[in-house]
Amino acid sequence: MTAPTTTTAASGPDRPPQPVPEPAGTGAVADSPRRDRLREAFRWGGLRLVALAVLLAAWQAVVSAEVWPRVLVPSPGDVWRQFVLASTVHDGVRGYGGHLLIEHLGVSLGRIGTGSAYAVLAGVPLGLLIGTVRPLAVVLEPAVTFLRTLPPLAYLSLLVIWFGIDEAPKIWLLVIAALPPIAAATAAAVRTVPGQLVEAARALGSGPTALLLSVRLPCALPEILTGVRIAVGVAYTSVVAAETINGVPGIGGMIRDAQRYNQTALVIAGILAIGLSGIVLDALLRLVERIAVPWRGRV
Amino acid sequence: MPRTEEPDTRAAVVELAGVSVRYGSAKAPVTALDGVDVRIHAGEFVVLVGPSGCGKTSLLRVVAGFERPATGRARVRGSLPRPGAGAGVVFQQPRLFPWRTVGGNLAFALARLGVPRSDRPGRIAELLERVGLPGMAGRRTWELSGGQQQRVALARALAAEPELLLMDEPFAALDALTRERLQGEVRALAGRLGTTVLFVTHSAEEAVLLGSRVLVMAAGPGRVVAELPVDLARGPGTDVSALRSSPEFARLRGRLAEIMRRGAVPGP
Repeated sequence: MTAPTTTTAASGPDRPPQPVPEPAGTGAVADSPRRDRLREAFRWGGLRLVALAVLLAAWQAVVSAEVWPRVLVPSPGDVWRQFVLASTVHDGVRGYGGHLLIEHLGVSLGRIGTGSAYAVLAGVPLGLLIGTVRPLAVVLEPAVTFLRTLPPLAYLSLLVIWFGIDEAPKIWLLVIAALPPIAAATAAAVRTVPGQLVEAARALGSGPTALLLSVRLPCALPEILTGVRIAVGVAYTSVVAAETINGVPGIGGMIRDAQRYNQTALVIAGILAIGLSGIVLDALLRLVERIAVPWRGRV
Repeated sequence: MPRTEEPDTRAAVVELAGVSVRYGSAKAPVTALDGVDVRIHAGEFVVLVGPSGCGKTSLLRVVAGFERPATGRARVRGSLPRPGAGAGVVFQQPRLFPWRTVGGNLAFALARLGVPRSDRPGRIAELLERVGLPGMAGRRTWELSGGQQQRVALARALAAEPELLLMDEPFAALDALTRERLQGEVRALAGRLGTTVLFVTHSAEEAVLLGSRVLVMAAGPGRVVAELPVDLARGPGTDVSALRSSPEFARLRGRLAEIMRRGAVPGP
């Protein structure tokens, strides 16, 4: 690592990817940091691909050894076939349950989006109130914490009794799941706005309203956005619960139906679809954070 | 620069009479300021100098309206001091809003003054010109050096064209070269605008260079122990670096340092 150029010359792409404690090219003076990072990304990306291949091979090996019946543990190929079937029109049948997999996923994403949007609209003002009005904090903070610890399935029944089995209970469930993280993050962020900035704003003639909207709120925005990202994640993990009753179309409903007919491969395909789209969505939200709050960490 | 000899009947911009400030609980109060009398007149550049813990920042905070005196009477232009009521404040740290650009920070101040949105860009350009940062409105605050940030903070405090400017060790965190340059510019700016300034520092050199009058404070409890009029040239076009190496400057700085040493010891 300390030896110069000679070590970096050996770190070609043909070298097997392995965890190297030091970044490649530390000794190479001529290398730009960007190229270093790119090389790093390729190296670790390669490691991930290898890990994935190992996992798939192990899975296939377990299936081939017939340790468990095929109905319980389908092969990667079975999952892929179900994925293709659910994503295409075949024999006049559209995907699964009359909807393509992508449509199921789209409906669920729509519910997540709607639920999260309502949660932001309610959660941010609620957090601002909790963070700034002491008596409200005393009353509302335990309520938010209580709500936060409840598993969504626990209140689904109540929501079904109140709102039936159509869209309303599903959206309500997602709102209730996503609201607490947003309210808690907003309240905490508003409370920790540096007193020095508040004082500077007061010296410039800011009244209570300007302080709240032009200082505390923008200052809290990075943490609020982190809260939103967490909330969308919670909504994501709750959507399957929301769709356990009358959930088709919807990825949760699809999984539920597939489970009823012992279509294990399709259940797994559905799980993978949720997981992968979740990773993509989280990356998008991180990007939004980076663009929207470039001052993060500079307050 | 009008300097006052008592008895003085003109209306003071700042008037403190018997002002005490206490912190802490009722059971264990800490007296930061004890019965301080200060009068500052229009156009004066008054510097508070003293060791840490002498209450100079507390005094400035009373004038800014951040601190309410436990006893005594504090008035700024005849009214109770209130934050945002016309005194511009520059702190030791720039305290810029990082979520706004340089121009946005100035726009914040202009918005509080009710300046119409369409007039703001012009005013922002003027203010930046005034503090030597022309064309920097679009920059992010954290891209600026410490000295540049403090210039923006000064421009922000000047946005309201305040009669009174309060500065709490504004150059203490800057490197020596930047500090010297900003000292000269603030001195000239205050003279040109006719702004009354109350300036806090712990440096005898800075006090003598900037002030038209220096108030020496001592700790335990915080109080004003001496006053030193400074009659160095203040007219437009004064060469501050020449002033720095002048014998009068050296003499005054030496005297002030001597007063500060005596002030630090209880009793005469």
